[in-house]
Amino acid sequence: MIEVTGLAKRYGTFTAVKDLSFAVRPGEVLGLVGPNGAGKTTTLRCLAGIIPASAGTARIAGHDIATDPVAAKRTLAFFPDEPRLFDYLTVRQHLAFVARIYGVTHHEALAQSLLEELEIADKADELPGALSRGMKQKLAIACGLLHSPSVMFFDEPLTGLDPLGIRRMKDSILARARAGATIVLSSHLLHLLEEVCSHVLILKKGEKIADGTLADVSARFANGEANVSLEEIFIRATGGTES
Amino acid sequence: MLGALLYLRLTSLRNLLRMRLLRLKQPKYLVGAIVGAAYFWFFFLRRAFIPPVNSPSMAHGMSPELQTLPMMFLALPLVILGLKRVIEAWLAPDDKPGLAFTEAEVAFLFPAPLTRRMLVHFKLLGSQVTILFSSLLIGLVATRWVALGGNYPQHVVGAWVIFSTLNLHITGAAFTVKRLIDGGVSKARRQAAVTAIILGFLALAAFVAWQTATPPTAADTASPLRLIAYATHLTDTGVLYWLVLPFKIVLRPFLADDTAEFLRALGPALLLLAAHYVWVVRAETTFEEASIALAEKRTAQLAAMREGKYRLGAAPAKARPGPFRLNAAGGRPELAFLWKNLLSTNSYLRPRTAFITAFIIVVGCNWLAIQPRPQPKLLVVTIIAGITAGYIAFLGPQFARQDLRSDLVHADILKSYPLHGWQVLLGELLTPLAILTSMLWLALLAFALSFEPPNLPWLTPGLRLVGIGASALVIPLLCALQLLIPNAAAVLFPGWMQATRHRGERGIEMLGQRIIFVFGQLFVIVIALLPAVLGAGILIFVLQWLVGLVVAVAITTIAVVVILGAEIACGLWWLGQRFERLDLAAELRP
Repeated sequence: MIEVTGLAKRYGTFTAVKDLSFAVRPGEVLGLVGPNGAGKTTTLRCLAGIIPASAGTARIAGHDIATDPVAAKRTLAFFPDEPRLFDYLTVRQHLAFVARIYGVTHHEALAQSLLEELEIADKADELPGALSRGMKQKLAIACGLLHSPSVMFFDEPLTGLDPLGIRRMKDSILARARAGATIVLSSHLLHLLEEVCSHVLILKKGEKIADGTLADVSARFANGEANVSLEEIFIRATGGTES
Repeated sequence: MLGALLYLRLTSLRNLLRMRLLRLKQPKYLVGAIVGAAYFWFFFLRRAFIPPVNSPSMAHGMSPELQTLPMMFLALPLVILGLKRVIEAWLAPDDKPGLAFTEAEVAFLFPAPLTRRMLVHFKLLGSQVTILFSSLLIGLVATRWVALGGNYPQHVVGAWVIFSTLNLHITGAAFTVKRLIDGGVSKARRQAAVTAIILGFLALAAFVAWQTATPPTAADTASPLRLIAYATHLTDTGVLYWLVLPFKIVLRPFLADDTAEFLRALGPALLLLAAHYVWVVRAETTFEEASIALAEKRTAQLAAMREGKYRLGAAPAKARPGPFRLNAAGGRPELAFLWKNLLSTNSYLRPRTAFITAFIIVVGCNWLAIQPRPQPKLLVVTIIAGITAGYIAFLGPQFARQDLRSDLVHADILKSYPLHGWQVLLGELLTPLAILTSMLWLALLAFALSFEPPNLPWLTPGLRLVGIGASALVIPLLCALQLLIPNAAAVLFPGWMQATRHRGERGIEMLGQRIIFVFGQLFVIVIALLPAVLGAGILIFVLQWLVGLVVAVAITTIAVVVILGAEIACGLWWLGQRFERLDLAAELRP
């Protein structure tokens, strides 16, 4: 469960996120969309406790990320758009390191099943330098999933993946949601929203333009027209410009 | 067509200078530029261009004998480096292209209607920028050594001749090697032939010297200058003269005593340079494929530098077992950082190596102690241990960077871990702390076992033992404090820190920024040590009258440990708070 109330992030006089409130329940997948610079990544990083919010509260699985960050972080996983891996740790050693950080007992079996599920078990003793972009992404995902998080944040999860990788990533997100995870993802790719997200939140210049189920938001901007594409909905909602 | 290539070079250079001037609008670059310029002025330009008035500079006041030493310290590594580069060029692996292009140059120039010779000229022209700048700098340094003779223009031109010839020779060697490879000569045969030629040359030189030369007399070895004179005389006679003639021709303009000698030496040197030039431009060889591969490799290295992943002395990235078993359950999470960061170091930086070294030190010092007249030998060990400890204590934190300075690029990931900021900081500090502490403990062990105390009544065996124990206790805390400062800089000024650690970045402003950091670190460590030093002084002064010196030192050590420990704990806690609030993306925003 994610509960966000009045969240704001300011950099000096520049406001990246303004008075944002929403909630995501277990099993739901919320898609954060908006033009470049809308504040999607900043929102995700505030929710994951990577940067502090300037105002407002965010509760992750019942824990306030500002006042009880350690407890909140135990329940969440953050997946950045670029897999950030340690150059000198093999695939298996990445998982061992993360297991120690999160205190995952008997992680070996869990790590092995994750590696097999993500089809990188044969690369377990390779360094990141020997992995393709897609495999690095898979390793980052395996690290994030190792402690069985109940809340997940994906920042542009399909960046750099091939068509098969995209399909598997979508399936994986849906499978986690069905298993009861609370998921927020940011993306420019509207087809991802249609296929994966149960809810959508449109941001523009750090402000919420609309949120709700995909059907609700579509209905709001369709202006009574039938068969309006999601792309058209997005353009109408954001005014067709970044600024 | 060469006009277009020249345009590319000059425009790129002009834009680079313009960009550097424009970035001086940012205070961190402006301050760096001022400090860098001051450094250059006081250490090079002022001494080179302003003649000493009634106060001869140190160099001018020194005897030629003394001036020879720094000259040799600088010249010897340069000569060795030059020879190494030449030998490497001939022994190079098959994929060494001889000419290094950037990826942009490959993309634009290789498909362009340019001859191979034009590309060669383009690269030779580009290398001249670096060579000219290096020659100007070397000239400034050389002019300060009166014993070298000559003047500034001579040294600049002399250095230019040396660097240009070396550059052309390395390129020519690479082209020749490539032609040999294309002609079907295997790598093993080529390397065997080159090795045989080098060894043959050395053997012949040694044989000729052995046969013809008179051994050096005591007078010849009395000073470095006389030894150089002896060696010079040796290479001026017989077959040795012809063997080393090409090297002498290249070096003579730089080493000329006066203008007349310089002009006499310049002619043959320029002829040799021209011969190298003809060799390179007439070598019809393919270098494109290897150049493309090298360009890609260099781009990857540059990207690693810009991301802060490049570290001096870093281990090559290869999979290896963990330094110790990392149990997931029950252990402190900070140890995971030690485990992770140790994996990024060379495999010899492990406890096993420390124990073996300690064993060697103990056995070696005891063996020396039972030798006849052991004092001079043990004194050498004491001095080496002392100097090593000094270097590690002051320079160690700059080199052992397996901490947040290297991991700052992963800040987002580190911050998403369920740990407090101080835990991340502590974990990150553990690896360099373990490395530096182990090294200093080994130096202390060598010092303790080799130190022959002067005959002072108060320096009792008990006091020595307590002193060594106190040092061993204080060393890790001192290292932690030293390491905390650059890590604090990484957290407090990440933008500045990131800028200074890009080894791809150059310029006077970057030099200035690095100088500021080094002096800043020194200043902060002095301030941080002040309470402990003052407290220790007062305690020893008071307690020695009450409980005796040995017990006073022991009690004082405990007090120092408490003070330094408290400082480190406070520092970690405060920096942890700052780390939790750090937004690297915002800090690095231009």
